[in-house]
Amino acid sequence: MALSESAISAQRSLLRGQRIRKIRESLTAYLFLLPAITIIGVFGLFPLAFAFYVSLHHWRIVRGKYAGLANYVKAIDNLAYFAFFWVTILLIYLAVKKIIAMSKEAREVGGKLSIWALPGLITAVGLAWFVKFFFTFLPGVLEIGMKLRGVAERTPEVFRKFLKEAWLEPAVQASFRQSLLILAIGLITAYLVHRFVDDTNRGIGYYSAFISVFILLIAGLMLGWLTWTEIQAAYAKAMEEGKELAIWSQLVTISAGFLLLYLSWIVWQRAQKTESNFGFAIRFGAAAALILGGWILIAELPPIIISGDKDWWRGLQVTAYYSFFTVPFQLGLSMFLASLLFQNIKGKSFFRLIYFLPYITNPVAAAGIFRVLFSGKPNSPVNNIITALGGQPLKWLDDPTGLFQLLFPHANIPDWIAGPSLALVVIILYNIWTYVGYDTVIFLAGLGGIPKELYEAASIDGADRFAQFRHITVPLLSPTIYFLTLIAVIGTFKAFTHVWVLRSAAALGTTDTASVVIFLEFSRNTRYGYASSLAIILLGVVLILTLINNYVASKKVFYG
Amino acid sequence: MANETMTETLRKAKAKRFDIAHFLIYVILIFGAIIAAVPFLWMVSASLMTLSEATGRAILPKVPQWANYIDAWKEANFSEYFVNSVIIAAITIAGQMVFSTLAAYAFAQMKFPGRDFLFTLILSTLMLPEAVTWVPNFITVTWLGRIGPIPWVNNWPALTVPFMASAFNIFLLRQFFMQIPRDLWDSAQIDGAGHLRYLVQIVLPISKAALMTVILFTFIGSWNSLAWPMLVTNSPEWRPISVGLSSFFDEAGAQVHLQMAGAVITIAPILLLYFTAQKQFTEGIATSGLKG
Amino acid sequence: MKLRKLFALLALLAMVLPLLAACAKPTEAPATQAPTEEVTQAPTEEPTEAPTEEVTPEPTEEDPCAPATDGPWAGVDPRGQTVVWWHNHSRNREEGLKAMVEEFNSTNPCGITVDPQNQGHYSDIRDKMNAGFSTGDLPGLVVGYQNDEAFYALVDGLVDLNTLIDDPKWGFTEEERADFYEKFLEQSVHPAFGGKRLGFPPNRSIEVLYYNKTWLNELGYENPPVTPEEFEEMACAGAAANGDGTGGYILRDDASAVAAWTFAFGGNVLTEDGTHYVYNGDATVQALTLLKKMYDEGCAYFFTEGYPNPELANRRAIFTQGSSSGIPYYKKDFEESGTGDEFDITAIPHTTAEPVENIYGGDVMIPKTSPEVELAAWLFIKWFTSPEQQAQWIRISNYFPTRKSTINFLGDYVEENPQWGHAYELLQYGTFEPQLISYAQVRDMVSAAYNEIMQGADIKATLDKLTEDANALQDELMSEVP
Repeated sequence: MALSESAISAQRSLLRGQRIRKIRESLTAYLFLLPAITIIGVFGLFPLAFAFYVSLHHWRIVRGKYAGLANYVKAIDNLAYFAFFWVTILLIYLAVKKIIAMSKEAREVGGKLSIWALPGLITAVGLAWFVKFFFTFLPGVLEIGMKLRGVAERTPEVFRKFLKEAWLEPAVQASFRQSLLILAIGLITAYLVHRFVDDTNRGIGYYSAFISVFILLIAGLMLGWLTWTEIQAAYAKAMEEGKELAIWSQLVTISAGFLLLYLSWIVWQRAQKTESNFGFAIRFGAAAALILGGWILIAELPPIIISGDKDWWRGLQVTAYYSFFTVPFQLGLSMFLASLLFQNIKGKSFFRLIYFLPYITNPVAAAGIFRVLFSGKPNSPVNNIITALGGQPLKWLDDPTGLFQLLFPHANIPDWIAGPSLALVVIILYNIWTYVGYDTVIFLAGLGGIPKELYEAASIDGADRFAQFRHITVPLLSPTIYFLTLIAVIGTFKAFTHVWVLRSAAALGTTDTASVVIFLEFSRNTRYGYASSLAIILLGVVLILTLINNYVASKKVFYG
Repeated sequence: MANETMTETLRKAKAKRFDIAHFLIYVILIFGAIIAAVPFLWMVSASLMTLSEATGRAILPKVPQWANYIDAWKEANFSEYFVNSVIIAAITIAGQMVFSTLAAYAFAQMKFPGRDFLFTLILSTLMLPEAVTWVPNFITVTWLGRIGPIPWVNNWPALTVPFMASAFNIFLLRQFFMQIPRDLWDSAQIDGAGHLRYLVQIVLPISKAALMTVILFTFIGSWNSLAWPMLVTNSPEWRPISVGLSSFFDEAGAQVHLQMAGAVITIAPILLLYFTAQKQFTEGIATSGLKG
Repeated sequence: MKLRKLFALLALLAMVLPLLAACAKPTEAPATQAPTEEVTQAPTEEPTEAPTEEVTPEPTEEDPCAPATDGPWAGVDPRGQTVVWWHNHSRNREEGLKAMVEEFNSTNPCGITVDPQNQGHYSDIRDKMNAGFSTGDLPGLVVGYQNDEAFYALVDGLVDLNTLIDDPKWGFTEEERADFYEKFLEQSVHPAFGGKRLGFPPNRSIEVLYYNKTWLNELGYENPPVTPEEFEEMACAGAAANGDGTGGYILRDDASAVAAWTFAFGGNVLTEDGTHYVYNGDATVQALTLLKKMYDEGCAYFFTEGYPNPELANRRAIFTQGSSSGIPYYKKDFEESGTGDEFDITAIPHTTAEPVENIYGGDVMIPKTSPEVELAAWLFIKWFTSPEQQAQWIRISNYFPTRKSTINFLGDYVEENPQWGHAYELLQYGTFEPQLISYAQVRDMVSAAYNEIMQGADIKATLDKLTEDANALQDELMSEVP
């Protein structure tokens, strides 16, 4: 008896010890993160939120009229409503998913889940209110620049005085106090629940989970409300002008199209596991769904794309070509080079230095060389090689013709699937040339992290080099590969300097990637609102690609 | 006897095949090296040309103009800017080494609520085009200077603090830290080590390749950045070397030869750093000693 | 062990460096004061030498800097103000500018101090200005192009210089006013923003035709082309002499070039009321038809990498077109080419009786800060554009003056720079490009249209579409004005 009792108490203290260790680990982790999160929050996340705020206005240098989704609609037409609608759905879906997962877990272990909903809700509302306060305060701060006009003395005291004025605005004060009050109530109820109802460690987890659930829900509802009112307004305006609008029907059909594509993919995946006539039938169904979905999209999307911003759509298309033709070659080549350079060969530090040179060569010098090599003159170096091989000289950087059109001149390929223009191909080559050195350095660092004895053991087992590469290098390098893929995709989406330097008017804009278009709207036209909406759209596209990449990577990446 | 000759010939055959493989490797490497090095070599060559040779895209200068380097150094105010760039880069790297390392370690090796959410949030900052971030960050930096004890604009904080932690470096280091075997942590824990001690004494030493990469890229990023330093400085007092380089353009054209001389001067420190850094990740790391 | 040391060192650096830098600040602070010290020192030294006669007698009479009693600037006292000037001049121009400003600081009777600061290129300055409108960090004086003026007008950020030019006390006398080339002054007036004058021209450049004089003479032509027909003939002769596709005229796809050709053919790219574009007028169509014909016949060619100057110097082209600010570069290239050839400058071949030249360049503008600083900035502009000072600035920068009497101070300079002199003769025929808010983007659109035409698109249809798109953009950008 005594023995088992002490065993129980020992177990209890062990459990408590674990719990305390867990909390302590979390706290240490937050402490470790604090400085980095603060810096990135201020100089990375704030600009993000700011860009979103700006994108909802006609913002020309300073804040203009509230514009709702007008900037987005200008860029991608009715697809804007579609995107916002689905982001709303996604947010709500994530919240619901989290609730279901939590309640399942709570049922299994007998946790008291529902009691935490109320404090979670209040705290989330408090946080949302704080965001509201922030965006009430922000315009006041931004207007100080204007208020300073005519003020001769510009001492720190004057600035602080104006800041204080903005801070003391009744609306700002009210929302600030309200947010603090609601937050305090949330924390107090949480404390009360913790003290009197559920003092387990799990409870705190539920509390934080509920906070995120409600934040997701609030964000979803806000976005949903914004989308709804915007669609209503668009309909009202169309009614006034006596035009017909088809936002809702477009929304339904396009969603159906995408859902069918998704569905066909899922079904196809499932069918891969079943091999029989039944599997064949499923695949047939999937193919049918694919065709149907594709057909709907082909029927619905082009008119929308045509009524959006032509430059922007072309920018996205150019970016897609750019990314698609750059990333695989760049990564493949640099991995190949890195593994060669990792061999025991003479002069490897020399070669490593040489291969790093492109990355640090001054872009103006390097671009100058590329301009000479790929100049449109019939006697440019590259054209000389082509003529020596019996081909026709090309215009290279000055040629807006699509690659596929050049390769198959008689096939009558329409412009929108003509592939990257020849000018863009040169820029792609330039990009690969520059970044291979950069990727190689990171690959080398990754290779340096692979324990040598693994190779020794493998070669004792009789594995040849290729087998070693496949079964040791690639899996152990997979985190690096994953990282570089993501960075390379983001890099091509954000690529600016070298695209800008190699830009030629004769290429007729076929090399203007999305980030160039954004830069032009921002800097050349000072249309901050519109440029911000484009940036947010680009961010959405990159985010979706990242999620897909993560999904693939979660199956393939191997962490030691 | 027969057995011995067999293994002998086998070894020879193996050695021969090896030679061919080696030969191929060299051919590929040399070919690639030429492609990689040509623009760089032209840059060096152009830095020794006269203006019309450089704009006329000559291959080699008739008479090397060594004076270009002196002109470039003087005209672009490099002697003042060089020191600024070194200070800015050093502060930024120091910040990165502490802040990004800590954050990356937390993301890679620790468990806490909201980890994935925070990580995705940090990553999302990578995806915003830079042009959009300038205005809000300029406003932030200005006001931080106005309400804080020291001015940020036209001073070191505006040039360094925003870059003391970056999503890129956190991501990079996290990937490397995740490769570290879990049992290292387990055994460290048995020895009574906390997270900080484990990080400093074990994780960092075996990640030196990654750390050197971070140092290298942070240095290059800081060294080459132009738009932001231009926005937040008003006088040469804190301007970096890249600003000096950009002064060789004017409305009528560029002083290409001086520009290239300036570029060679600015690249030299990067090359030096790369040369020292790459020694650090030449060899694979033996983790066996640490595991014991 | 070594590694641990390395990290310890880095950690140490991390701790120490910010501290060091923070400590360095107090020692830095005097450094920021240093320039002002120098400035205050300078006047005490210099007035004892030359300008004493100028400065000292005036206070005994009536103080010329005392506030005006009436007019829009009544009661504003410019004395003792500091004016920060954001400019884009680097290297020897910056040095020369500094010396000029120092002279102003030490001699001006109002005790105004101008602090010239290089802030990079025009685009950098625009970014800084735009950010500054939100924080209030604006200079007293800034350079920029005319469409930048339109941007700043969006936030009503600039002083309307009409109020100053016409001010009885601070403005110009009628003679002074008439001394300026009327067209240059007109360019900074913005019909799209209520006719406000938002900038002031300190200097200008001209879009000109460069030609290889020696070669042209060898080919049997005594004088440069005046009409487009002569131009075509000579370019074709040059091309025939080389026979390899080079030798003729190098096409220039810049919007300033398109505007220049339109002017030369008697047209304009701006509508009468100055608020919209016309790129499909007869003049533009005819000019581009000629250029396209020359391109097709091999008498003109594209040269898209590097700069055209060496081509002209090495007889790979007989004509090139560009800004007059390229003269020093051409000079250098001809000296270094070793051919002994000479180049010269002439007007863009024209169908009009007199040439019409495209003249452009940055303005200085006065952002709205405080009335005292604004007025002080204006007094500096007045000084800087006075003939004597402008002549000095021309010597430093090789730009062209905006006042007619400036040339009286430049006799020897013209002798030394005959090409500059020839270009100067074109100054009187100047007109200007649009100052509309959309012009930055429209410039790119014009370039694209030019290339499309050269690549075979229909000239009239392309120009119609260009005009339509450009005007749609202009309307759209104006509709967002807050």
